[in-house]
Amino acid sequence: MSAGGGALAGSLRLGAGIGQRAGSAVRGWPLAVRIAAGVLAVLVVGALAADVIAPLDDRAVDLDNILAAPSWSHLLGTDEVGRDLLARVLHGIQISLMIAVSAALTAALAGTLVGIVAGTMGGKVDAVVMRVTDVFASQNHFLFGILLVVLFRPVLGGAGAIMLSVGLTHWPSLARIVRGELMSLRERPFVAAAIGGGAGRLRLARRHYLPHLLPAVGLAFVLTVPHAIFHESALSFLGLGLEPHRASLGNILADGQRSLLAGGWWIALFPGLAILLASMTIGTLAESWRERLHPRWRSELEL
Amino acid sequence: MTALLEVKDLSVGFRTRRGVVQALSQASVSVEQGELLLVVGESGSGKTVLAHSLLRLLPRNVDVSGSIRLGGEDVLALQPDALRRVRGRRMALIPQSPASSLNPVRRLGGQLLEAARARGLTEAQSRKRLRELLGELGLDLDSISGRYIHQLSGGMQQRVVNAMALVGEPDIVIADEPTSGLDSDLVDATAAQLREISARGASLLVITHDLRLAERLGGRLALLYASRIVEVGPAAAFFQSPSHPYGRELLRALPEREGKSIPGMSPELTALPGHCAFADRCPDRFEPCTESVPDLYPVRDGVHARCFAHAER
Repeated sequence: MSAGGGALAGSLRLGAGIGQRAGSAVRGWPLAVRIAAGVLAVLVVGALAADVIAPLDDRAVDLDNILAAPSWSHLLGTDEVGRDLLARVLHGIQISLMIAVSAALTAALAGTLVGIVAGTMGGKVDAVVMRVTDVFASQNHFLFGILLVVLFRPVLGGAGAIMLSVGLTHWPSLARIVRGELMSLRERPFVAAAIGGGAGRLRLARRHYLPHLLPAVGLAFVLTVPHAIFHESALSFLGLGLEPHRASLGNILADGQRSLLAGGWWIALFPGLAILLASMTIGTLAESWRERLHPRWRSELEL
Repeated sequence: MTALLEVKDLSVGFRTRRGVVQALSQASVSVEQGELLLVVGESGSGKTVLAHSLLRLLPRNVDVSGSIRLGGEDVLALQPDALRRVRGRRMALIPQSPASSLNPVRRLGGQLLEAARARGLTEAQSRKRLRELLGELGLDLDSISGRYIHQLSGGMQQRVVNAMALVGEPDIVIADEPTSGLDSDLVDATAAQLREISARGASLLVITHDLRLAERLGGRLALLYASRIVEVGPAAAFFQSPSHPYGRELLRALPEREGKSIPGMSPELTALPGHCAFADRCPDRFEPCTESVPDLYPVRDGVHARCFAHAER
């Protein structure tokens, strides 16, 4: 019993310790970062709990209630066919975030792979790989992205095509970051010292390269997410993304723009606000992370 | 008795855009079991290249000839796996500037343990050995494990690096400029640590341009000038009366002796002369000096000098 009590007390102490540490960490944050974290948390929780808060039926048309202004029965109003805007915006955030995160992940993986190949092989391989990367980077992201969506939509569907299109247009900056880090790491004295101490390739990669690369890649990944949100919304807005009835932020925005002249300001305002808030908060958080990691580090990625 | 480490006619040239930089020309040195060898020379004389060639840490654009034998085994012919087992376990390097020789983003505990594990010790053995070694150097494993290298003072950093080199109980420790950038207190401490390493029975090869450290350490000394060994012999004999004119002028240049610098510059390594490299600056120059490169001639008890002045005897 005493052992059980001890374990319980121990885990309570541990829990309190973690709580305290998290608490003191938050107290150290600047106000802007705290606000950004709070707003992003609300958006993410809202998006995750969308089905509980406001269940959505894409085809539930309510023609008696079209273009209703925000009220207690429809907190954000209704759209031009009478669908509840709150439900659509929450589900839109869910889909947009999901596409954006997986697109950023695709970009991070592709960029890291290319960067590792160029940075470790060096010489001619590096020259060829990086020139190909330059070709990709020199294309207009958006036009190239449209081409990719058109190519892949028949095979992958709307969401998959957008994800791939954003992923395949955003990897060059990551490849450059990873290659640059590796190039400079290779020349660092501690790498020579590790080799002199008997380290093989695997140990070098795992123990010495990875701890330096991970923060840079992680940060670049996070900075790509807001980019991806923009791209997803823009493609959907142009009708190139998800099927029109699906709730994505870009789709709702496209609908809203048609209702603006009829006086339905809320349909464009709320999804627009969601895009803005999501990108701004992620950007703010990433920026403060960057400051902490490396006060003078200037990323190639900008918002 | 065969030497533990035997370097014969080692030549190292770097292929660069400006031509071949000859960093070492036919250098031959040997280190016996438990012996201390000092390799002394100015910047660019080839000291660090020698240390790095012993562990095969040279870049790809390099041409190496000659032989390096460690306990009879040809180091230059080792396959990657065998080479990894030699590095750290049989030959350990104490690198230049300890602060940049450890990974700045990892805690010291992990790096120390990793070094010990890489030498084939188990986790428990590693901890025990590290605790002992660091203890002897006046450090506590538990109190530094959680720290990063930049959080330690210069002297502590040096001791951590020394402990890392010693943890595998290597046959020979190569210390590359162990005192560069240290103030005189730390030079004293480093000298004491190096003597300690030597007293443990490991052979020691110390690369330095610090003549005062060399004098304090003693042992045998090899003097490098413009990629060649110009004098080799007991350190005490060198500091008493050097046999090569370069050694003589070098000692005269010490502030506590005459403080008189040697006129002229050492030759470019891309265009080494076909004669004695020191001839242009040598006060005792005579005809053969500008005609061919002298051999290492015996001078007196164990001292050899690459100077025609000793050829006649």
